[in-house]
Amino acid sequence: MRSELTYVGRSTAREDAVDKVTGAARYTHDLTPAGCLHTALLVSPHAAASIARIDASAARAIQGVRSVLTGADLDVRLGLYLRDKRILARDVVRYQGEPVAAAAADSLEAARTACNRIRVEYEPIPAVLDPRDALSADAPLVHPDLGTYEHMRGVFFPVAGTNIAHHQVIRVGDVDAALAAADVRVSASFFNPPVQHVAMETHASIAEALPGGRVDIWTSSQSPYTVRHLLSVAFGIPHAAVRVRVPHVGGGFGGKAGLHLEPLAYVLSRAAGGRPVKVVASREEEFNTLPSRQGLRSTIEIGADRDGRLAALRADYLWDAGAYADYGVNIGRAAAYAGAGPYRVPACRIDSRVVYTNKPFGTAFRGFGHLEVLWGVERTIDMLAARLEIDPVELRRRNLLRAGDRTITSELVTEGHGDLIGCLDAVCDRIGWGCPVERPSDARKARGRGVAVLHKAPAMPTHTACAAIIQLDEDGAANVLVSGVDYGQGTYTVLRQIAAEALRLPIEWVRVAWECDTASSPYDWQTVASRFAYMGGNAVIEAAADCLAQIRATAALAFGIDPSRIVCEAGAVYPDGEPEKAMPYSRISLGYTFENGNSVGGPVIGRGCSIATGLTHLDPETGQGLPAQFWTYGAHAVELEVDTETGEIEILRIVTALDAGRVLNPKLAVGQVVGGVVQGLGSALWEGFRFDEAGRLLNRSFVDYKIPTAKDLPGSIEPVFLETPQPGGPYGARGIAEHPMISVPSAIGNALYNALGIDFTDLPLSSERVLAAVRAGGGAG
Amino acid sequence: MMRISMTVNGVRESADVPPGLTLLEFLRDRLHLTGTKEACGIGECGACTVLIDGEPVTSCLVLAVECDGREIHTIEGEAVDGELSELQRAFIEAGAVQCGYCTPGMIMSARGLLLRRPDPTEAEIVEAIAGNLCRCTGYEAILSAIRLAAERSRTGVSDEE
Amino acid sequence: MIGTFEYVSARTVDEVCCRLGDAGPSGRPLAGGTDLLVDIRNGAARPALLVDIKRLPGFDSLRVGPSGEIKIGAGVSLNRIAEEPEIRRRYPGLAASAVAVGTYPVRNRATLVGNLCNASPAADTAPVLLALGAVVTVFGSGGAREIALRDLFASPKRTTLAIGEIVCGVRIPPHGGPVRTAFAKQQRVRGHDLAIASVGGAFFRGSRELRIAIGSCAPTPILLDPIEFGEITADEIVERVAITAARAVSPISDLRATTEYRRAVLPVLIRRVIERLLGPDGGER
Repeated sequence: MRSELTYVGRSTAREDAVDKVTGAARYTHDLTPAGCLHTALLVSPHAAASIARIDASAARAIQGVRSVLTGADLDVRLGLYLRDKRILARDVVRYQGEPVAAAAADSLEAARTACNRIRVEYEPIPAVLDPRDALSADAPLVHPDLGTYEHMRGVFFPVAGTNIAHHQVIRVGDVDAALAAADVRVSASFFNPPVQHVAMETHASIAEALPGGRVDIWTSSQSPYTVRHLLSVAFGIPHAAVRVRVPHVGGGFGGKAGLHLEPLAYVLSRAAGGRPVKVVASREEEFNTLPSRQGLRSTIEIGADRDGRLAALRADYLWDAGAYADYGVNIGRAAAYAGAGPYRVPACRIDSRVVYTNKPFGTAFRGFGHLEVLWGVERTIDMLAARLEIDPVELRRRNLLRAGDRTITSELVTEGHGDLIGCLDAVCDRIGWGCPVERPSDARKARGRGVAVLHKAPAMPTHTACAAIIQLDEDGAANVLVSGVDYGQGTYTVLRQIAAEALRLPIEWVRVAWECDTASSPYDWQTVASRFAYMGGNAVIEAAADCLAQIRATAALAFGIDPSRIVCEAGAVYPDGEPEKAMPYSRISLGYTFENGNSVGGPVIGRGCSIATGLTHLDPETGQGLPAQFWTYGAHAVELEVDTETGEIEILRIVTALDAGRVLNPKLAVGQVVGGVVQGLGSALWEGFRFDEAGRLLNRSFVDYKIPTAKDLPGSIEPVFLETPQPGGPYGARGIAEHPMISVPSAIGNALYNALGIDFTDLPLSSERVLAAVRAGGGAG
Repeated sequence: MMRISMTVNGVRESADVPPGLTLLEFLRDRLHLTGTKEACGIGECGACTVLIDGEPVTSCLVLAVECDGREIHTIEGEAVDGELSELQRAFIEAGAVQCGYCTPGMIMSARGLLLRRPDPTEAEIVEAIAGNLCRCTGYEAILSAIRLAAERSRTGVSDEE
Repeated sequence: MIGTFEYVSARTVDEVCCRLGDAGPSGRPLAGGTDLLVDIRNGAARPALLVDIKRLPGFDSLRVGPSGEIKIGAGVSLNRIAEEPEIRRRYPGLAASAVAVGTYPVRNRATLVGNLCNASPAADTAPVLLALGAVVTVFGSGGAREIALRDLFASPKRTTLAIGEIVCGVRIPPHGGPVRTAFAKQQRVRGHDLAIASVGGAFFRGSRELRIAIGSCAPTPILLDPIEFGEITADEIVERVAITAARAVSPISDLRATTEYRRAVLPVLIRRVIERLLGPDGGER
């Protein structure tokens, strides 16, 4: 089966790598159009305050300053799902770090000087910093006017007069009765702090307000069409008047998925008479002003019989959205339908609430809530295993979803979903589960093993769509146009392989146009959710088939035979059985000309598209419905060593299995796993925002926000891929980009329990937290 | 303003610069060599790594005026006459490049390493790039690439498909 | 631009001291710049004048005398300290503490003397140098003088230097016998990090004297009183030192660690350092 594919499944090298290793690749940071202005931001020092007075007159007087704006100048409200946000704070600030004013000037120095001259009088008001406090009846309201905000009706349900931006529920069966009748009940509460994406390229956008209400944007973004759409809606400009181009992007991880600095760049340009304006976040602004991953407080209770079969699961997910809802409401939604883990749960009650606080806000982040939710779920499963004295792997085998089961939204699980048990078996086999753990060399260290499973489907609207265009050049080479973004994950390389395969064209003759341009590359929803290889791949396959149909039709005329008798192979066409008559695509790519000069056919342009099919909204009362185009399953097994004197954890081995459906490019797939696992390690062991009592962010630079370095690697990271074909996936593939990160902390937490007999519930598992728990002699940490 | 003169990738560059201009800004904004990146501005991430007289430094914390008379090498000088270096080819082959933003700094740190240690130990390779943050790759492919380049440079065997 | 200031590359030490004397608090010497330029960028320092000392004759010199005395000029980088064969042979603990600072490219610029003059309580190179009885040479309008390293530190990020004075070098005096050194640093991560707590030690075999210094647990690095011991076990030495240390330090709770954690790991670091100092293969590898 494998050998019949020429390109799909090979470790084709990235074409973009040459530009990257030579420094030729240009990112938004590197673009400086003629006359470009530079921007500085003035941000709020307070977590919550009203702006009593703001005076920018001294700023505007500075030589070289071309525009200065405050929230008072901008009566626009933005929001992906819930329009709750201003471009610059207007009347009130809602988080320390929120932009209050901005200046665009000939030089960065002049812009900064201008911001320093802006006078702001704040009147601090009570802030709410903990989502639990935000729920109480007398909590300060972060958005008193929540009830008036436009939002995506039927999908999200903000509760006016509260701090609740959205509440998603799952109601299956009678959970209270099932829990009461259960032989055993286990319950615990968990904490995930907010965490930052830390793409190496910070956010950057350039906007030029052109005559006639047009806008030209260059931006470091994962979703050019979303930028276009939201700008169009916010400012009342026709879509065609907004042009968004995305050059190379230095990492995204979800942080660049929505609308960020683009509106600010645009309004500054408009106010500066149309001069191009570049807004670049410093690293400190990236941490403090740009959004992060929502924090989560969860409480999970599981009831089971004495053989460990789950009878009921109850979960309360309290999402700390920060000051604005952004993607947070959708994460809250996804957390509900995925919130029981990949288990068979007859009775289930989940309440997933997305709640405002006066802190930097949350946005999409790799895993989209699943890492945070599965931290609690997988830890609780292991707690149940410990209580029942059943092996944690065996307990999972008894409860993991299998073909024929239904999920908590009543989705029917099929073979095509993937082999979850196979993933679990693979990691257990490789880690040596069941064999004794080797004794540590030092008596003051402890070793342990843990496993965790993962699942995720793309959390995308029911109408998510993607298109691809393939144009053949004069020389018969193919140029693929898509508007998904390759920000490092390598999808363009995979699409190139798919196009070459489907076009029957040598891969050297295929390229994917690097830069996406809403003026000429066809629509794509967003490059998030691990759905671009899937949907883009399908669109490319369809576009390639369209090209071949055109090629066959014209070749049929050229050879004077029926199109069904035309063979396309290795970039050439010939009548079936007569390969000696082969002519290359270049003879047909712009049409075919007979000897007498007559021309037929025309430029070959193939079109393909892909749209989410069969998805439904979730019932607001019960959560039932079909939210998932496909699921990707996986598992991790971890072996670690803990230093009981310092609390330091050393990950000796981590084995990660994913059912990829079809590994489109092994080297790229391994790259996603190793990169995702290491990013997961960051969430597990070291990362998390810290705030003071006034809600100010304390760790806002690399000095105190630590991400893994080359010295922080586990002893080994071992990726394993299963390939249970995904029905409807391109060559059977399903998405894998987010999944390697999910459940990494869970497996580590479970291994820590195995090593120390201590249940950890709060992340990160810093040395300090671990040591404190060890010294306290066990219990929750 | 102060008059300075330095060699950048073998080319003599003279300019009048204010004392507060960093080497990073000089390279990117004055010489339009945008391959070297800024990702933190405080010497913590390594994205701005270049070589001064063969030694890797974080150029965001070097003033242009401090480089008068010095030899600077940036990522743009790594390939010679359009020919990718052993390091560049190894990075591509080993899958060490994802978003590419850390790549120039990584290659400069690796170049500095191979200049002083053609036969580096694993620990020396890790130490050489531990100051270069990467969020995409998880580092393993980068370490492989450097190992591969060192091996090939030593044995004189070039890459084969 | 990282800041707005004048810059001069000094040619003699007298010139440095004159210019700094004239400029007062708004003049700063510039060596590696890896602390100063960060402070300027963040607005924590606003000097009007930087006096570059890197081209001063002799500032780059690292000399080992026949009796083991080591003189290190103010311009010697931390990487050079870490890689200098004589230092690796004689004082591996010092080499280890040099490597603990920042990252490889930062250490090509950052200097040993700069690390000391920055006077952070977490200065990685301070503990071992204190334990070795290092002495710094201060140059000012009145000429040169030597002070014990312990007398350089006044409070966090403040030295005892007067305006117009700079440190030209640091000297490790000869000890007339074998010395072992060791350094241990507790960090939040394995990658580069500031010390949560650090311990540097020197064991003078001839006089059986143990000197231990502690970083990051007080407003300045702290040198404990020397410990001479006769016939007691290593464990008892460790316990005694740990008790002395616990009384001498005053660790704070900050973003990096709590007082409790610092007090908890300090005896662990002390034990590890002493084990290496007194152990069979002795000192750092």
